[in-house]
Amino acid sequence: MSVAGTLALAAAESLGAVASESAVGAAPAFIGEAADWEFVFRNADYLGVGALLTIGLTVASILLGFLVGFPAGAVEVYGDGSLKRAVSVAGVVLRGTPIVVILIVMYFVVGVPQINLGVASVSSAVTAGILGLGLRSAAYQSQIFRAALSSVDAGQLEAGRSIGLSRFEAVRHVVVPQALRRSLPGFQNEFTIVLKDTSIVFAIGLAELLTRGYDLFSEQTTAVLEVILFISAIYFVLTFTTNRALDRLGDRYAIPEGESA
Amino acid sequence: MASATRPTTVRERVAESDRSVGRLLLVAAGALFWGWLVVSWVNRWVGGVLVPVGQPLVPPGAVEATLAGVPGLAAYAADAAFVVELTPEFARGTWLTVVITAVSLGLGFVIAVPLAVTRVYGRVSAWVSLAYTELLRGTPLLAQLFVLYYGLNLASYVPGALSGVFARNVVWVAILGFTLNGAAYQAEYIRGALESVEEGQITAGRAIGLSKLETIYYVVLPQGLRYAIPSWTNEFVYLIKYSSLAAFITVPELYYRADQIASETFRYTLIFVLTGVMYLALVLTASKVMARVEGAVAIPGLGAERGE
Amino acid sequence: MSDDDFLRVADVSKWYGDEQVLEDVSFEMDRGDVTVLIGPSGSGKSTMLRCVNRLAEAQEGSILLDGEEVLSPDLDVDDLRREVGMVFQGFNLFAHLSARGNVALGPRRVLGLSDADAGERAEEQLDRVGLADQLDSYPAELSGGQKQRVGIARALAMEPKLMLFDEPTSALDPELIGEVLEVMHGLVDEGMTMLVVTHEMSFAREVADEVVFLDEGRVVERGPPDQLFERPDEERTGRFLERIASHD
Repeated sequence: MSVAGTLALAAAESLGAVASESAVGAAPAFIGEAADWEFVFRNADYLGVGALLTIGLTVASILLGFLVGFPAGAVEVYGDGSLKRAVSVAGVVLRGTPIVVILIVMYFVVGVPQINLGVASVSSAVTAGILGLGLRSAAYQSQIFRAALSSVDAGQLEAGRSIGLSRFEAVRHVVVPQALRRSLPGFQNEFTIVLKDTSIVFAIGLAELLTRGYDLFSEQTTAVLEVILFISAIYFVLTFTTNRALDRLGDRYAIPEGESA
Repeated sequence: MASATRPTTVRERVAESDRSVGRLLLVAAGALFWGWLVVSWVNRWVGGVLVPVGQPLVPPGAVEATLAGVPGLAAYAADAAFVVELTPEFARGTWLTVVITAVSLGLGFVIAVPLAVTRVYGRVSAWVSLAYTELLRGTPLLAQLFVLYYGLNLASYVPGALSGVFARNVVWVAILGFTLNGAAYQAEYIRGALESVEEGQITAGRAIGLSKLETIYYVVLPQGLRYAIPSWTNEFVYLIKYSSLAAFITVPELYYRADQIASETFRYTLIFVLTGVMYLALVLTASKVMARVEGAVAIPGLGAERGE
Repeated sequence: MSDDDFLRVADVSKWYGDEQVLEDVSFEMDRGDVTVLIGPSGSGKSTMLRCVNRLAEAQEGSILLDGEEVLSPDLDVDDLRREVGMVFQGFNLFAHLSARGNVALGPRRVLGLSDADAGERAEEQLDRVGLADQLDSYPAELSGGQKQRVGIARALAMEPKLMLFDEPTSALDPELIGEVLEVMHGLVDEGMTMLVVTHEMSFAREVADEVVFLDEGRVVERGPPDQLFERPDEERTGRFLERIASHD
């Protein structure tokens, strides 16, 4: 197993030294230098693949977060006893630990194996990245769903029971559809957080957008600012479009809300 | 049948006592954690009065010997001694983590208030404020740190007055990064809180002859900032956790030191789990303290009723 | 008291913690009867109603519905509720569903009807309460009176053998009460068995076969409306009726 986490830090150290040496005397060239921009665009493909990986990582993590987080939120509202306690403790731990620590623990400690899918294999860094980001997201999504589920008026559940639905059916057909819609704003927020935090898999050497940008500017240190501004722009476009798309979704599935139903 | 409620009460009482035992343990652990940190820091500042600087507060050998004598714990004696040996490094890293978080949070707040006020009540400046917050909230924090450190190479431009404060100037770059980023998030929270203050409050302020700015300062902010406390607590917790990203621009805070020790000793599991626990302790402390603050500054009869 | 009563409530008692909210409540109904429970707020009448479909659990006594013990621990409460419709004071319409969706949910999920059949049944029932033109409206788009009529249609769609009404008009503006009472009158004419908690004394007077006056969890007095309203035996009943009347 490679020591990617440590490598990332060590590299940062040496590159930092290079950066400060080269800058002695001359102020950094602001956004100028045509040659540096040319370097960026020449490598746009390379960064594009990184952006795709960023998107894939985000989608996979959000999905995992939903699959684990939604039941977890339901357990926190409707469960009891040791299961509820275990879920809430796991949530506190995952929400109280920096994502970089979670990722590194997944990578080194859990020692996620490489997954072979036949056509392609998923590296252990990718698996660790999805697990780390996904489980952390599950801990936050569970809070979003918990709040949404408990915000649905108790009379709704009662009315569901009164026409003969079982408790599970009443939750499933009456409370959950309303709660899911109400959790959209929180979910939207969570989506952009995960998208931005995929950059932190840099710590385990996963070659997504930021890591690729880092590799590029380590190669041509005069283009540092150009490269980072370029990838930042990509991130911004991604978060911006995601937000607008989810706004649309929210409008489309909105139900007329009044003071009482 | 009338006594059917009895068993529930008993079960509740058991659960209640379980909870209070848990709370007591948590408080004890917190006291131990902060006691250890503060004594370690003080020992360092005064030049090693208690134990030589860089030495653990209790000798690892003694810990190992003690634990070896306890049946059931003997197997963990060597690990415990190893952990004790690392405590000075952890304490040093945590100091920087705490300082970076606190300073960035404070400075960020100073920027965030005008940012939020101008967003709500300004005209052209509202757009400037919007652009700033959208840009900073729309890009990864790590990329922002890279811009400041690698892109602009700010570590070599730290003003003389500040450059002696920390062992490495790059700490200031990290603080700048967290301040600028945190200000954007804090401004969003404060904006939301300001908008939740009733319109009539401003009208009433203007009616007694206050200027618009005075009304905002004396009437709206004192209410709005109180409403902002819960979400502000969130930002506090986020900052504690994300301060770990400073490691990637070579700031020797908690995560950086943990990573270094891990790569020297190859004990990844133990060290990173321990690091997680350290952050968790900081985060839990912050949220407990903020809950107290919220209770202390609450306006009677306003806002959500607090339990307990 | 005969053995073939359709609903027989006998000595029902209930506590919330240490506080007793129902004390030995008894009354009977025949099929097609309308019984109205009246009493001051906090008298336990809503709780009594909820015990009948087990939304609240009585701890002592017996409730026989069509010969079956409602309070039996072996009883499937979902089966019970399928046969007993309920209308709530606060409507409790499913906020995410249209009027049609609200009424169709039970037939679809509980009775297992196809989407088309459930939809058709919903339309019939909404027509029955005079809302054929509001099929696709969401609860927030309806007036209070319309909401409550959807609530009644929702209960009727399960073809219940007993309908429970929990202060169906208390949350309504005065000008909207009439349309709901009109629908309820219609049900009486059709021979529906109804147990109603209400403050609408004129409604009770017109349609009730029996009026039960509850106070502090106990049945103070019960009887046909003209007797109970005109010549109450108990002083407390008279005082309560005077207080209500002075508000009208």
